[in-house]
Amino acid sequence: MSEELDQVFVGLVNQSWKHYNEELQNTRMDDLLVGAVIASTVEQGYALIDLNSDGTNHYLRFEWLQTRQRLIFQLQNLSEALVTAKVLGRRARVTIGYGENVQNTGAVWSALKAEMKSGFLDAAEPGVITCDADLTASYIYVQVPLILDLDQYFSDGWQVNYQLLQNHIYATTQALSKYLRGRLGA
Amino acid sequence: MFSFLSNFKHGQEMRESKDEILVGEIVRAMARLQCPAIGFMAGTGEQNVRFKPLNDPVLHSVIITLDRKTGGSALQQAVLGSKATITIQAEVKNYLADPDDLINMYRTDIANIFKVPMLGDVRLDHQLNSILATKKNLIDIDAYILKGEESAQRLSQLLNGVINELRQKLAPYKKA
Repeated sequence: MSEELDQVFVGLVNQSWKHYNEELQNTRMDDLLVGAVIASTVEQGYALIDLNSDGTNHYLRFEWLQTRQRLIFQLQNLSEALVTAKVLGRRARVTIGYGENVQNTGAVWSALKAEMKSGFLDAAEPGVITCDADLTASYIYVQVPLILDLDQYFSDGWQVNYQLLQNHIYATTQALSKYLRGRLGA
Repeated sequence: MFSFLSNFKHGQEMRESKDEILVGEIVRAMARLQCPAIGFMAGTGEQNVRFKPLNDPVLHSVIITLDRKTGGSALQQAVLGSKATITIQAEVKNYLADPDDLINMYRTDIANIFKVPMLGDVRLDHQLNSILATKKNLIDIDAYILKGEESAQRLSQLLNGVINELRQKLAPYKKA
């Protein structure tokens, strides 16, 4: 009888840990996404050169050191509440940017004009490509916001599908680099 | 002129970013070891990343802290190189903590108060149902970055070696 009760107690503790871990995993989802993006992008040959966060948005910057091409990411978890994650699925707003070092001052000024025009677009809508320029480092960036379904990259047991994430990042940066080259007239 | 200045700025930026480059390499190396990153904390000069070892019978989590000591300026880089301490902490979690365990842990914790760990020593600590083993090493950042697969393998060996050592120290504390 006592053994049976012990087993019931152990079962209750195990179940409590399961619920606790489910909640924990959901609150850690944005960090899991940051880690997966870093691992996937470094695996592609880029070096992480900047990592910071304002608590809601997480910012990452990578550089391909030989060519100085850069990738920038802004990541925001859209389903921090477990209820939202269970009902709608886990989603994140991810802005991916691609940048090139440009020595031609004329091209940087023209990108700055495009940046001004980009200010009039509703960049909160996904798929809107906007232009940005960093005068101090002489970089021109193009960026696009996307809403990604995180369930396709992360399973319940903290497993990450790096291959799929890498593939999605690569496809997006390819499209952005084509757009930027078109703008620069290269 | 514009190009010359931009090269100078780029060199400075890369020198300042060496600890971030190493953090990126650590996250990639741990992902290859089946330990995805699940927590990030960044301060000035110190970066702290928590990893979740998948399918590990002993370890619940691993926390790696990188604290850059030198190499922020061109002079420091030339004279001292880019030195940093890397602290690796492994955690065992027992899912049920009883009062007897807490009394035993208390004894070890009192013994630890007077122990000042040297670089390379392993220190054990208890926190309720967690037991933590910590080891700190002084490294040269340049040995572990920007050399392609060669530096990636060296970093992977360093991390795997320390994590295995900590796992062995912690294994006796893991309850079934």
